[in-house]
Amino acid sequence: MNFNFINLQPYTNPQYFVYLMIGLVPIIIGLYHGHRLKIYEVAFSLVFLFLIFDGDKWQQGVNLIIYLLFQLLVSYWYLHYRQNGKNKTWVFYLAVVLAILPLVLVKFQIAFPKAPIPGVLAFLGISYITFKTVQVIMEIRDGAIKELDLSTYLRFLLFFPTFSSGPIDRYRRFAKECNVAPKRDQYLADLEIATRNLFQGFLYKFVLGWFFGTYWLPKISKAALIAGAANGGLKFSWWLVAYMYCYSMYLFFDFAGYSLFAVSISNFMGIHTPVNFNKPFISQNIKEFWNRWHMTLSFWFRDYIYMRFTFFAMKKKLFKNPIRLSQAAYLLLFLTMGFWHGLTWYYIVYGLFHAIAIIINDCWLRYKKKHKEQIPSNKFTKWLAIFVTFNIVCFSFLIFSGFLSELWFGWK
Amino acid sequence: MSNKRRLWQIFGPVLCAFILLLVIFLMPWERTFSKDAIYQAANSQTTTIFKGSRMKQNAFDDGYVPFYGSSELSRLDPLHPSVLAEKYHRNYRPFLLGGPGSQSLAQFLGMQGTAKQLKNKKAVVIISPQWFTKIGQDPDAFSLYYSPLQACNFLLGIKKTSVSNRYAAKRFLQMPETKGVIKSGMKTIANGQSLTSTQRFLLENQRRMLNNEDKFFSTFQLRDRIQKINGHAKLLPNTYSIKALDQIAKQQAAINTNSNSFGINNKFYKMRLNKRALAKLKDSQRDFNYTKSVEYSDFELMLHQFAKQHTNVLFIIPPINQKWADYTGLSESMYQKSVNKIKYQLNSQGFDKIEDLSKRGSEKYFMEDTIHIGWRGWVAVDQAVKPFMNQKNEPYNYNMRNYFYTKKWQNKPGMIKTTDKYPAVENRKAALKEK
Amino acid sequence: MNIEKEVLDILQDLTGEDLSERMDEDIFANGLMDSMASVQMLLNLQEKFAIDVPVSEFDRNEWNTPSKIVSKVENSKNE
Repeated sequence: MNFNFINLQPYTNPQYFVYLMIGLVPIIIGLYHGHRLKIYEVAFSLVFLFLIFDGDKWQQGVNLIIYLLFQLLVSYWYLHYRQNGKNKTWVFYLAVVLAILPLVLVKFQIAFPKAPIPGVLAFLGISYITFKTVQVIMEIRDGAIKELDLSTYLRFLLFFPTFSSGPIDRYRRFAKECNVAPKRDQYLADLEIATRNLFQGFLYKFVLGWFFGTYWLPKISKAALIAGAANGGLKFSWWLVAYMYCYSMYLFFDFAGYSLFAVSISNFMGIHTPVNFNKPFISQNIKEFWNRWHMTLSFWFRDYIYMRFTFFAMKKKLFKNPIRLSQAAYLLLFLTMGFWHGLTWYYIVYGLFHAIAIIINDCWLRYKKKHKEQIPSNKFTKWLAIFVTFNIVCFSFLIFSGFLSELWFGWK
Repeated sequence: MSNKRRLWQIFGPVLCAFILLLVIFLMPWERTFSKDAIYQAANSQTTTIFKGSRMKQNAFDDGYVPFYGSSELSRLDPLHPSVLAEKYHRNYRPFLLGGPGSQSLAQFLGMQGTAKQLKNKKAVVIISPQWFTKIGQDPDAFSLYYSPLQACNFLLGIKKTSVSNRYAAKRFLQMPETKGVIKSGMKTIANGQSLTSTQRFLLENQRRMLNNEDKFFSTFQLRDRIQKINGHAKLLPNTYSIKALDQIAKQQAAINTNSNSFGINNKFYKMRLNKRALAKLKDSQRDFNYTKSVEYSDFELMLHQFAKQHTNVLFIIPPINQKWADYTGLSESMYQKSVNKIKYQLNSQGFDKIEDLSKRGSEKYFMEDTIHIGWRGWVAVDQAVKPFMNQKNEPYNYNMRNYFYTKKWQNKPGMIKTTDKYPAVENRKAALKEK
Repeated sequence: MNIEKEVLDILQDLTGEDLSERMDEDIFANGLMDSMASVQMLLNLQEKFAIDVPVSEFDRNEWNTPSKIVSKVENSKNE
């Protein structure tokens, strides 16, 4: 059969937005008049999801459906268990392990493509759905979620604007909004922000991101490889420094641009998906940086790993010294984040690097607090702090980029 | 503030911007480029220029002659055709078209926008037998050179379906880049039908936008090699003499190849042929075969385009560095067979200006590296190019044969001998005499 | 039992500062509190007032000033 499949990966090119906007028109008109057209919304989302997984990507789509059924089974089984008033810790652990199991298998599959695990295939969005299901299980455990409405839950997991790469929303927040229409005044304000975000996204992703990532980066990369080969040793060169800054800018504008799109399209649909970036490069220290960079991810790790771990450890008095405890928790958090990015040395080193950076940063903050009088604090120190933080962050992105691996070992 | 007004404030500017953009891109803009920009573009070998139209059209009207080729064109040493043309104030300047991986199919597509400008004029083609692998055009490389603009030109330029354009459409459909209305148009042509009026309408609008895009942005990412050319030109003797040029070529090559015994450019050797790569490449090309390839039919597309334009074409067939071929185990007799097959395809249709350098791979300093011509090789090329360019421009007619689009021809083992006389060649010679 | 005074004591333990005059200051924004300190605070509140606040219920925006914390505690006590 000679059927022509249209396959659309989210937000990858300007035409995509034309289709998207046409699809959004009824939703916008509906919300403006105070009606949420739920059935249309679902159909609209399903069409765009279908367009991600049709054509030669159909196997990914099948895996997505199986994966979803599995996640629903785990969530509802655990919910049922909790509703019966039982609350064994090992059952909770089991539920969490089951929820992350598919993702772990997929990560292994990507890291070791030569040893295929039968039936396991990475599909777009798996990481971000996993964040959502794990979050729900944890809140069921806490008793914060007592009911899971199936259609709301599915709409939450498959919420199309944030499907591929976040931002990561929270179930209870989403559930409050997704069945009602916002007030007209509120919605008009949303539209205004949404339009601005959309165009800022264009500027970020298609203009600035393009310059850094598509225009300059390949040239710098080539030059760095040549200069590296010529210099020998650790293959350092000034081009590598250029690569570090250029890649960092690319990473920011590309991802921040994408996130702006996701937030903007959510807003058009009357959903206030949390923002992902808040001027990360004006951070004065690493801790502040993680409150401004990929915020929904770092908040997820903060709330569901760091805080839970410290709460648990403190309650059980596992650590005598709270400073040691927080250091251990940072290591746990950032190593998990590193492994989540992928089972490759540079992602794990990236995690480790940030753990160490934030531990040192905490030591410094404590020292500063103690010696408030001796340490000057003025405009200059502020800019110095921003400068130092920026460079440390860019260096961590150089690790993250995998370019060092290419430079040293010839693979990425 | 009323809600309507607020809505207008939100979406009004967006709407205006879109209308403005559409108007700008659909207006028939005209642009001529400055002499400097054309000169830069002619030597820049960027894919933007390769894929575009306006710059090439402008240049060909201005006395530039296209040099279709691939990666050898970027071996910009002091004897490169661009340097020689500049130094000796020739009546032409080369316009370099091609780079790594630009095989016949990509070249054919790239030729679409300049049929008018090349009518009854001249062109030079450097054919690499390395193109003639079993699968022909590498799809990844094709993506790099694929131009939606030229694809529109190709489709809209078809007046009647023929074996040639059906073959081309089928080949384009095998490449990953064709999409949307272009893809559906290619399918229509491949099936032997003509485009519907809707398809034409959509393609024409798309072409207009792409043409504007080309006009606005083609000078945007030029690679500037003018300094390099001028620097190289200073090394050359002021009066043209083959002997003196050969001397310079030897000197230059000696300095630049002293790091290895293959006679390969030092930089290339250091970058690309470290110990591990060298060990891997030893005897790795024993089974290479250029005699059976879909590329022969793709190449026929280029020839067809020249025939349509009545262009006078000089073909140059380069050799392989003999020492390198010995090392990698590439078969010389196979290479010669493929060269002969190419020559047969050319000669039998009337393309008789062929400079066959394929047996000169063992001459010292002829090659710049493994498979790319350089230094003394360029001097040899110039001895064919110079007299060719001195000929008067006049229309050339060719006898095209659809046989060359068949699987039968693609899979025919290479010829061992080619006869010197072909009816097409003889006929044209006779016709010229009558004049 | 004076809830406000107890809460302020706990906060003073954690931040080293007396916040009784700065009831509406954002103690996360000015760097006095962080995630670690919030966990400690939750545990201390649990001990002092016998209220159960799971980590899930801890939304920074609802706990970011001393007066908000006080009212949170008061609400949980009344439940």
